[in-house]
Formats: sequence, structure tokens, C-alpha cells
Amino acid sequence: MTLPLLQRFLPACLVLLVLAAASLLVGVGDAGGSEILLASRVPRTLALILAGAGMAVAGVIMQLVAQNRFVEPSTAGTAEAATLGMLLVTLLAPDAPVAVKMLAATATALAGTALFLRVLRAMPLRARLTVPLVGIMLGGVVGAASTLIAYRTDMLQFLGTWQAGDFSTVLRGRYELLWLAAILTLVAYALADRITIAGLGRDAAINLGLDHRRVVAGAIAIVAMITAVTIATVGAIPFLGLVVPNLVATVAGDNLRRSLPLVAVSGAGLLLVCDVLGRVIRYPYEIPVGTVMGVVGSALFLVLLLRRDARHA
Amino acid sequence: MPSLKTIRCRIAALLLTLLCTGPAAAEIPVQHTRGQTILPATPKKVVVFDLAALDTLDALGIPVFGVPAGAKPQSLVQYNEPRFRRMGTLWEPDYEAIDAAEPDLIVVGGRSGPRYEALAKMAPTIDLSGDDADPLGSELRNIRTLARLFGKEAEAEARIARIQAGIASIHEKAGQAGTALFVLSTGGRLSAFGPGSRFGLVHGALGFRPASTDLGAGIHGQPISFEFIAKTDPDWLFVLDRDAAIGVRGQPARQLLDNELVRQTKAWRKGQVVYVEAGSWYLAAGGLRALQATVDQIAAALGGRR
Amino acid sequence: MHDGLARPRLRPGHVLLLLALAALGLAVAFMTVGANGRWSFVLPFRGTKLASLLLVACAVATATVLFQTVSGNRILTPAIMGFDELYRLIQTGTVVAAGTGGLGDPRLRFLAETGAMVLFALLLYRWLLSRDERGLHLLLLVGVVCGVLFRSLSQFLQRMLDPNQFVVLQSSFFANFNTVHPELLALAALGLVAAGLGVWRLTGRLDVLLLGRDEAIALGVDHRRTLTLVLVLVAVLVSVSTALVGPVTFLGLLVANLAYRVMPSYRHAVVLPAAALIAAITLVGGQLVLERVFSLNAALSIVIEFLGGLTLLLLLARRAR
Repeated sequence: MTLPLLQRFLPACLVLLVLAAASLLVGVGDAGGSEILLASRVPRTLALILAGAGMAVAGVIMQLVAQNRFVEPSTAGTAEAATLGMLLVTLLAPDAPVAVKMLAATATALAGTALFLRVLRAMPLRARLTVPLVGIMLGGVVGAASTLIAYRTDMLQFLGTWQAGDFSTVLRGRYELLWLAAILTLVAYALADRITIAGLGRDAAINLGLDHRRVVAGAIAIVAMITAVTIATVGAIPFLGLVVPNLVATVAGDNLRRSLPLVAVSGAGLLLVCDVLGRVIRYPYEIPVGTVMGVVGSALFLVLLLRRDARHA
Repeated sequence: MPSLKTIRCRIAALLLTLLCTGPAAAEIPVQHTRGQTILPATPKKVVVFDLAALDTLDALGIPVFGVPAGAKPQSLVQYNEPRFRRMGTLWEPDYEAIDAAEPDLIVVGGRSGPRYEALAKMAPTIDLSGDDADPLGSELRNIRTLARLFGKEAEAEARIARIQAGIASIHEKAGQAGTALFVLSTGGRLSAFGPGSRFGLVHGALGFRPASTDLGAGIHGQPISFEFIAKTDPDWLFVLDRDAAIGVRGQPARQLLDNELVRQTKAWRKGQVVYVEAGSWYLAAGGLRALQATVDQIAAALGGRR
Repeated sequence: MHDGLARPRLRPGHVLLLLALAALGLAVAFMTVGANGRWSFVLPFRGTKLASLLLVACAVATATVLFQTVSGNRILTPAIMGFDELYRLIQTGTVVAAGTGGLGDPRLRFLAETGAMVLFALLLYRWLLSRDERGLHLLLLVGVVCGVLFRSLSQFLQRMLDPNQFVVLQSSFFANFNTVHPELLALAALGLVAAGLGVWRLTGRLDVLLLGRDEAIALGVDHRRTLTLVLVLVAVLVSVSTALVGPVTFLGLLVANLAYRVMPSYRHAVVLPAAALIAAITLVGGQLVLERVFSLNAALSIVIEFLGGLTLLLLLARRAR
């Protein structure tokens, strides 16, 4: 890590610590009791950090692989495919443990993302803004399939719990699967240089002696798994993987090895902010973090879109 | 024994008949959620699109001609037998089949409520949707409406009296039983419902003191965390497992609530967590038998005799 | 543009005639086959249903073809631009605010819903198209982002509903051709005819737009004005159809692409009617087969959505090969 980046990374870590402390202090229960702290606040805060970092990293990886700044798991069909997988396994094998459901969701998420990338490769005109539109259409079709299945089986309200991220019922013993996202983030860090080169495009990557296919396959496997594990434990979080990498890119550039730590820390920070807001605004009730993120994220995304567009015009 | 109100209604009906100078056929005006429907005579061929109404009719022994296909609570599964005509589903009636059957009366309510206008053009239709603001009152009113229509007032009143006696006896004990919180669980998430809501019966008629003063008269549920349950620390925790009602297995509410925070509450320690029966609180909520089941379950939980 | 070499040499007029005959035949069959009940009931009942199917067919087909022409992309549909989610948010908000009982005069609600959706589109267009000449894809993406925002808000509101209210609400999330208020049909037809007249006057300029933006401008088309006009018409058409029967997301995708395939011409004057006729054939024929052969009454929107989605996937896969 270069010095100027370190200068940004360390303050970011400090901010994250402050936010984590705030998350430990804010809630309905009496934080003085160690019981509440250990059983509820610490797990919730950790889950937020793990999911936030994971989704942001998944976003930045998707953006490199698809060579497009406006792609993330929820604009590439990945999230919808994972939800469909969860729904199917819940209908077919309701008693399966969460880990099995997560694996099924990973499989469908992988299939959805692979389809998206195949389509991208064949798109004659990979215009900056059409790529996410195609991904969203693809996600729309998969999402329609899930919705219709859920409607016929009277599970629509149930389906909603995966579509809207919510940390209100996270407790010790109920979120640990999310540590997988942390491991995957580390794996991504180890592969960072290769993913960066893969992001230069197929020909450039092969010229540089990279097995492009394998790296891309590994990268989308990481993305699919992070998405699936997040949806299986806390539900989908819109826009996080999109806004955080874009904000970070303005200071850190496209080299994944350099930007990834900052992306992870910022993603965790943004999700913490949104969840603490969701706990405070209607205290003692909750606003699910998916909704807060939907509002904050779409505002940030619009700013990004319009600012970037103004610069390009 | 017909109540005063019924007698008054009958006199009104009689006067109406006289004024209309029609033949002696007793027209029956029926008040319901969407106004008044006048039936030419006691209906014989009844099509029911509301599980609560079906529950009431079944309890009163009134024969039903057509029912919707689809999931039914345990007490009503016999209506899935082929001797009852299938008339589409709760959310999508088969209009042509209904018209071909030429029913004397169609009953809608709840989920099928929005189909009232389409059905009312085909045959006399009444909408027995519950009132979100006054669930119990509207449910009893609907039971009486159906009973009066089929001349079963006496039986219905006896059953209602039994329900009300049950409620009164619960109310008496509930006053000393401490505070209560009503929670809905679906897909591993929780919402709390207060006195003004659909599940406010617990606090209103049944008389349990609300564990949280924040849950005011709002008719809606509020998303909550386990910390909320720990903080309000109710003596009684009523839980509706929505997923159980629709037959989704997976993580049942029991498993969801069995955690460090809920285990600290008075309700858990005293064994006063009541998983209310989903069929009578959700699928057929408000039916005559469902109400009795509701009362019985809570009376049993309170340890009282019926 | 001209890959018509391998196509059978059929004149566009003939194809239209064939499609019209097929649609007419299906309509007659729809009205009469397997009547169950009194004719005095069946005819008006099926007539209302047929009228709503035809209205939606015309509106959705026209809107999709126009939208694909101006966006220069055949795998997009206007419904993704937040209209569906706005409609669902309005439905959810109504139930949260007013409960599930009386939802007011259906005509008033229809007008309010159409108004809200058109207003949303107008605000979006006005704001974005005035910014940037090349703003169309930006506009689409902003529309999609607004859709996600609306969905997040509906999800929160739905979380607060008790299960009984939710089941009443959820039936409004899908297109339903069975329970249409006859008085709404006249209103919807009025909106459709007005928009149709607008579209008819634009067909010439639309053909020029197919050549691309710069070429169109070189040929003397006021690109920005035409674009805004077309998008307003699309918004009106989608809003009317959505407020009438509920969201139909992928039907347009299916019929527009079928129309491009069967028509030996790219002129809008023939592609638009062809797409509308194919949509009518799909909807009426689909309803007929589902009702009479499989005796499924409410499954049409579901089957059509699957078919539309499948078309998209096939289109994408074909390109991917």
C-alpha cells in the first residue's frame, strides 16, 4: 500500500471504529448489561461489518470483471438468482439447514452471473449505461419468476424477507455464516492482482500471461458466494456494491490490491451508518437496513450518475 | 330467543314488505361492509369466498354449495371434497362457473373483498370483511348477520354467549396476569402488534395489559428486534407464526424465539409463551368456531376452566 | 437494416391481414367456446374481458415498440423504468393509509394512479432530457434507480401490514384481466385513442429515428422534441394499461420482437399494428387456451410473463452465440 493511500485508509479505519462503537451503543435494550452487548449488539455490529465489506468487495470485483462501473450483484442478476435459489430450496427441502440453502443460492447465483457475463461478451455495443440495464432486465426476469412462484405458493411475504436486508434479528449464533464473506474477501485480496489484470480485458490479460477464463470464473464464484451468504443470513442490500467502489475509485483508482482494503472498510462503514439510522429514526422500532440503504443508496447513485455524466458531457 | 334488535329488524322488514305491496315473500335486507343487499328469501344455494364465513356456516350447520379451492384450516378440510363445487380460488373466482350455478347468495370477505363488485352483478352478494379498527366487534356482527339470514339466531347467540363468557372469564384473570406482547414472525423476522391492531383482541377484549406503551392505537405492526422483546419483558408473549399457517416449514417461531434474549423474559421463564393457532388467528380468523378456538386456547394457557 | 433476402416475399399488408384474421378468429372463439352459464351473462362478461385484453395488447405493444425505437435497443421494455414499482407503492400506500376496506371510487383511483405515473415520467424526462442531449440511457437508468427506491419503500410498508391485509394487497401486484370495471374501460380507451392519434402522426419521424440520432438530425428531425414526445406517449400508454389491469412487465418484449421477425418491413406504420395484433393474439389466444383447455383462470399474466422473460433470455443467448 502506497503512502497517500495509507493516509486515507487509516482515517477510514478510525471512522469505522467510531461507527462500530456507535452501533454497540444504539439499540432498544440496556447496553449496560453485558448480556445484551454480547448476545445482540456485538453480533449485529460484526454482521454489519462483514456483510457491508463483503457486498462492497463483491461490487468492485463485478465492476472489474464486467469492465463497467455501474455493475454490482443487484444490477447483474446475481442477487435475484440467489433469491430464486433460496426460494426453490425452501419449497423443495424446507428442513434443510441454512448452509445447504446458502449453497443452493450460490449455485443459482453463479448461473445467473455467468449468463450475464456471456451476454455481455456478445454485446456488440458495450455502452457504459446499457450494460447495467441489460443486467437489470435479466434480474427482472429472474425476479418475476421468483415472485410468481411465491405468489402461487402464498410465500410472497416470506420472499420479502430475503429481498429486504434486515439485521434486526441478528443474534449470537445466528450470523456466523457471514464470516465466510470475510474469508472470501481475503481470498479476493490474495487474487487482487490477477483480477485487476483480468479487468483490462481478455486479450490484454492473455498477453500478460494470465489464464483469463480461470481468474474470471474464480472472481464470479467469490461474488456469487458473498451474495448468497448475505441473502441467506440477512437479505439483499441494494446499491451498496455500487456506490462504495465508485466513491472509493475517485481516490484510489482501479488497482484492486490498493483499493480493496479501502472499499471493504468504506462498505462496512456505510452499512453501519444506515443500520444505526434505521434503529434511531423510529425508535424503539426498526426500519430495515435494506430500506434505508434503498433511500441513501439511490440518492448516492443518482449523484454519481449525474456527476459522472456531467463530466463526460 | 331472538334479540330485541332482531325483532326490530324483522318489523322493519315486514313494514318494507307491506309498503312495497309485494306478495308475502319475506324480503331480507342484509347490512354488510359495502352497504345493504336485499335478498328475496332465505338463500338455499350459497357460494362462500371467505374462510371465516365458511367456518361460521359450518359451525351453524348451514349447507354450502360452492367453495374456493386452496389451503384451508384443519377444521375445514372436508370442504376440499368433490361434493362441494369448486368455484375458482379466494383471489380469483371462476365467474362463469358461479353464474352457471345461479347461487342465491355469494359471501365474500377479506382476501376476496376486492371482488365484491364483479360478483354483486351476478347474484346477491354480501361482503363480510372484518373492520381493521374493530376486529372483534365486526366479527361478531358478521356471525350474527349470517345467523339471522338463515334463521339460526338462537344457536348463534348461544355460541356467542359462550364465547363472550369465555372472554369475560379471561378478562377477569388477565387483569392480574401481568403484561402481554403480541408478535408476528415470518421468515425469521419479527413485528409487534399493539392494542389498535388486528391482534389487539389480546389487550382489548381479553384484557391483557400491553407490555409496551409505545405500541399505541396504530393498526399496523412494527418491525422489532429481540432487544425490544427483552426490554419490554412481557409476562405473556403471544406469537403468531405466519409461515406455519401457510405450511412453510423451515425455521418455526419456536426455534426463532429460543435464544438468549427471549429466554431472559418473564414470559419465557414462567412458560407463558403462547403460540397462537395460525388457522384460527389468520386463515379463518373471525369465524364462529375460530373465535371459540381462540378463546379456548388462551383460556387453557391461563390455566382456567372453560 | 435490410436482411430481408432470406424472408418469404410477403407484402406487409398481407401479413397484417393474416394477423388481423387470426386475431378476429380468436376473439370470436374467445366469446363463444365452452360457454358455461347464461348467454346474457357470458357475452357481456367475456366482452368486458376481451375489451380489456385488447386495450392492454394495443397499449403495451405500441409502448414497447416506440420505446425500443428511441432507445435503439430491442431487449428493453418501458416497464422497467419504475412504473411497475410506483404502481405497487401506490397500492401498498393505499392499504397502509386507508386499510383494506373501501378503496374509493374505482374511476377516481384509476385517474389518480394514471396521473401519478405520468407525472413521475414527466418530471423524470423534464429534469433529465433538459440536461444532456445524450441523456436517454441515463434517463433509463435513473428510472430504474427510482424503481429500486420505490420498491424499498413498499417493502418497508409491507413489513408493517398484518398477514390478512397483505393477502388482500398482493392480488393487486399482478395483472388481472378478470376483474376489470367496465366504466374504467371507457376511460382507458379514451386515453389509448388519444395516445394512438399522437403515435400515428409520428410514425414517419419514428422511421427516421431508426437510422440513429445523428442521421435523424441530419435529415431534419428535431431529435430532442421527438424523443420527449415519444417518451410522453410511452408513459401515457404504460400508465393506462397498468392502472387498468396491473403491471405487465415482459409482454411487450415478446410481441415487439415477434413483430420484427414476421414483418418484412421496419416501417412503423406496419410494425406497430403488427405488434398490437400479435399482442392481441397472444393475450386472447393465451386466455382462451388457459381457460378452456387447462381450466386455469388467473394464470394468464403469469404464463405471459414467463414467455416474455424466456424471449429475453433466448434473445440474449442467441446474441451470445
